[in-house]
Amino acid sequence: MTEILRVEHLNKTFHLHAIDRTVVSLRDVSFTVRRGDHLALAGSSGAGKSSLLRCLYRTYLPDSGTVRLTLADGPRELTTLSDRHMARLRGREFGYVSQFLQAPPRVGPLELVTQAARRRGLRHDPAVAVAKDSLTRLGIDEALWDMDCAVLSGGERQRVNLAAGTVSPPQLLLLDEPVSALDPANREKALALIETLRAQDVTVVAVYHDMQIIRRLANRVLVLADGRTIAEGNPTDVLGQHIDALEEVSL
Amino acid sequence: MSIDDVLHSAVPPQDRPVVLDEQGQREVRRAILAAIAVPGHQVPFGSREMPVARGWGSGGLQVTVAIGGSQDRIKVIDQGDDQGVNAVNLRRLIAGTLGAETTEDTRDCTITQSRHRIPEQAMTDEQVLVLQVPVSEPLRPVEKSIAACERMHAEADYSRIWVAMYEDLVTGGVVNASSGYPVLVNDRYLMAPSPIPRWDVPRLDQGDRLTILCHGRDKKVYAVPPHTSVRPITFDDVPFEVEYARDQRCIRCGSTDVYLVETREGTYLCSDVEWCARVRTGDVDVAEHERQIPRAYYPDPAKRVRGVGIRLQGRSALGHSEHTGRTAPGEEWALQVTDLVKVFPGRLGSSPVRAVTGVSFDVAPGEALGVIGESGSGKSTMMNCLIGNERATAGTVRLAAVDDGRTNVLDLDDAARRRLRLDVMSVVHQDPAAGLDLRISAGGNIADRLTAAGWRSFWDIRQRAAALLDRVEVPLHRMDDVVGQFSGGMRQRVQIARALATDPEVLLLDEPTTGLDASVAAGVLDLLRELIAEREIAVVVVSHDFQVIQALTDRALVMHRGAVIEQGLTDQLFADPHHAYTQRLVAAAHV
Repeated sequence: MTEILRVEHLNKTFHLHAIDRTVVSLRDVSFTVRRGDHLALAGSSGAGKSSLLRCLYRTYLPDSGTVRLTLADGPRELTTLSDRHMARLRGREFGYVSQFLQAPPRVGPLELVTQAARRRGLRHDPAVAVAKDSLTRLGIDEALWDMDCAVLSGGERQRVNLAAGTVSPPQLLLLDEPVSALDPANREKALALIETLRAQDVTVVAVYHDMQIIRRLANRVLVLADGRTIAEGNPTDVLGQHIDALEEVSL
Repeated sequence: MSIDDVLHSAVPPQDRPVVLDEQGQREVRRAILAAIAVPGHQVPFGSREMPVARGWGSGGLQVTVAIGGSQDRIKVIDQGDDQGVNAVNLRRLIAGTLGAETTEDTRDCTITQSRHRIPEQAMTDEQVLVLQVPVSEPLRPVEKSIAACERMHAEADYSRIWVAMYEDLVTGGVVNASSGYPVLVNDRYLMAPSPIPRWDVPRLDQGDRLTILCHGRDKKVYAVPPHTSVRPITFDDVPFEVEYARDQRCIRCGSTDVYLVETREGTYLCSDVEWCARVRTGDVDVAEHERQIPRAYYPDPAKRVRGVGIRLQGRSALGHSEHTGRTAPGEEWALQVTDLVKVFPGRLGSSPVRAVTGVSFDVAPGEALGVIGESGSGKSTMMNCLIGNERATAGTVRLAAVDDGRTNVLDLDDAARRRLRLDVMSVVHQDPAAGLDLRISAGGNIADRLTAAGWRSFWDIRQRAAALLDRVEVPLHRMDDVVGQFSGGMRQRVQIARALATDPEVLLLDEPTTGLDASVAAGVLDLLRELIAEREIAVVVVSHDFQVIQALTDRALVMHRGAVIEQGLTDQLFADPHHAYTQRLVAAAHV
């Protein structure tokens, strides 16, 4: 399998000027992801899992270290890539599904998902078709499709967000607790959808709190604690080994 | 000795009354020569007090007195009549001061001074027609500022006249200008041909005579030399019309194809009294007159604008633009700004203000760049330098659409920069009144852009305006309403439609939603987001409001005290601001 993402010595510290404090979020994080991998990030709250995803996506700007993304047209260094190229990359080949829906206001689920598909290069009509399909598979009632996303329930919003992130999927997808707010039935639909990504050759880096989900979806897992990587490997081995560190999470 | 004796032509020159001394005459003649050299161009001259009131032909009088001499034969008419009180008085005055003979026969005169008519009798290249002018500035009805009118003449920028005509056609179905219909002389200068009826307008074109028009009060003289083209301003698809009373004839001479005036009884009379009299005695060259009849411009009801209602072929009329953004060769940008500096010089004891201190950025087609900063950070000054409202102190601004980005736009003159704003770069101002004419209709405001860009088809303009207004969700039944009657949000939508009318390659949005209340601002923001998404246009959004920047842009600059202190992806600036100032700005945005 070829490498798609190589992260080396990534550090991130926040300087809060107003209160004159610094908060260290990531310390010397390194790992690689191969094409087709489903890498799960595990660790307790505050361990730096979401910060790591955001540093990859450059919602946070890392202080030092490198993030190399290798697509069909060759490798590129994301920490120094121009804003313009980063923005273009985000639209098409590189996706991020945040924990909470960040929809522009006054946009309905169907429009939101259609726009996401259009950004990834589909024409209008096919984009609408795949958007409808995606919303249906996630169990979003058709009556809600044209509603303002702001009036949806938490679970509905999370599924709409997942639909927008996975429709006509990018080559590399970052998922931040994509099923945290879902009831068991809807969670199953969402997980089924995420499972299909592997068949579409989509590489996934995801944060999950539930060990069962990691075992089911991920082929590799990276455990973080206090901003450092403490373990990396296949889920069965790593989760067994670090059950203590992860205990509070799985409960 | 009676006045008639004094004025009699036999009086020797030294005893004639002087109404314009030799110096004054030379001044007028110099101006006339300049006017002939530049057909249609209004030449200022030192207009003197005349022994007639301003408005009673003092301009025409000065021209006739300046060019005439004792060997001339003078004809003076008022409304086509040699015997009007004003005509009689002027004729006696001119004859007396020049020692010239007078005549009522156009064929016999050397100079005809006229108010409101060109004689039906064709004049030759041996004759001069002097027209008294009550309004010399053809742009006066559409532009009050004299300086702005002069600027428009200098740049041959006459789009406002077409806008006025568009407004006439939309409201009444016909162009209202009846007398003094605006014409283009020698395909260059717009001219007000004095209040001659439209009937006479085509007869100015390629005439054999020299025509001199003079406005004494405004101190302007202009001319149409022989064999010069004079074209009435009109849309390509709305024909110019002359007055013509179909099936009517003069009750005295029976003429039909002349300019007829209606009497109180509802009958018609020749306006040109001399012509009427000569028709009755058979003393006219009918064949010659026939060539002068503006038959091509007789009203044709079938060609009139009627029912200006508009039907759009669905949204497809203005859907996703196929327009592909242009970049400079080998570059990614459509707009590039490098080291832009603006210093307002200090004066009267105040120190110089460095409003913009070296700002650089570029924007690609299909990309929206945000510029955020609080009041006084220099973002509006920066924008004004881009637009051309302010002269930048230093720096370069390049546009891919201008000379493939090789030219520094800041080096262009004002006229060239104004032209850029027509089709290359559009602005949406915070205040709709800054970008719109509130006195004309929504469609007229868009027509203003289109006519400036060279559109000359009424129906094309109307169709395009309707499609744009429909796109920005202004109800089409309000298209012909005056924008001053619109709400703030509607005005802003019209302004956006106007900015997009000519498919510009760069769109500058200056606080586009500031000043609108929250719900209206939300609607405008949604519209802008959609419009940006559906076209390959390079957008710069200036705002103090992080919400606006977040909603519209992918990446942004933070300006503080005239400099860019931080830039990045918009979500990164919001989630991970590095500079202390940006952190304060973000904290303030979380209200």
